[in-house]
Amino acid sequence: MAEVEIAEHALDDLGPVDYLVIEFPAGHQTFTGEIAEELVRLVDAGTIRLIDAIVLTKDENGDIDAVELSDAGDLGPLVQLEADLAELLAADDVINLANAMDPGSVAGVIVYENVWAGPFAAAARRAGGQLIANGRIPIQAIIASIEADDALDENGA
Amino acid sequence: MPLRPARIGRVGVVGAPVAKAAVVSAAVRPGPAPVAKAAVVGAAITPGRRRRI
Repeated sequence: MAEVEIAEHALDDLGPVDYLVIEFPAGHQTFTGEIAEELVRLVDAGTIRLIDAIVLTKDENGDIDAVELSDAGDLGPLVQLEADLAELLAADDVINLANAMDPGSVAGVIVYENVWAGPFAAAARRAGGQLIANGRIPIQAIIASIEADDALDENGA
Repeated sequence: MPLRPARIGRVGVVGAPVAKAAVVSAAVRPGPAPVAKAAVVGAAITPGRRRRI
């Protein structure tokens, strides 16, 4: 019973879990280690918790290859994160995620908990709130909105 | 696909094929005035900006 209570408590404090697929198109792959350093910085700061990470490649024929982070060569600072990964993604997920990639590209996939949002989300739940929508606003949409405002101003509306 | 055995045969969490999102950097890189576009985005998220009703 106590274990159930502990699990429920942990679940209540869990922040939202997101994934990112970051594509590096053919001919635009300049890996300097900076990405890994920034990822470790986010984890060390308690901003996110890295749950899973894999590297995907899609060849010109559309064939997909997936490499575990531990098999991806010199991990640099990512070594300290790799040991704590949960392997949440299933093989089917890999195929679904790779669908977004262009042929000839490499992509890094990360799944992470937004630790920073956990206490806020828990407080909202305790107050009876429930998340009914979320999303990301594309930069393009922000530009379009501002430019539409500017056009209205110029026209004296 | 040399994935760990634990990933094989498990129920996935993504659910469906993912569509490619609009490339965000393209919004501020090309065009005649990339710096101006970046400034526009900055202005849009500046505290104090009020919506037009």
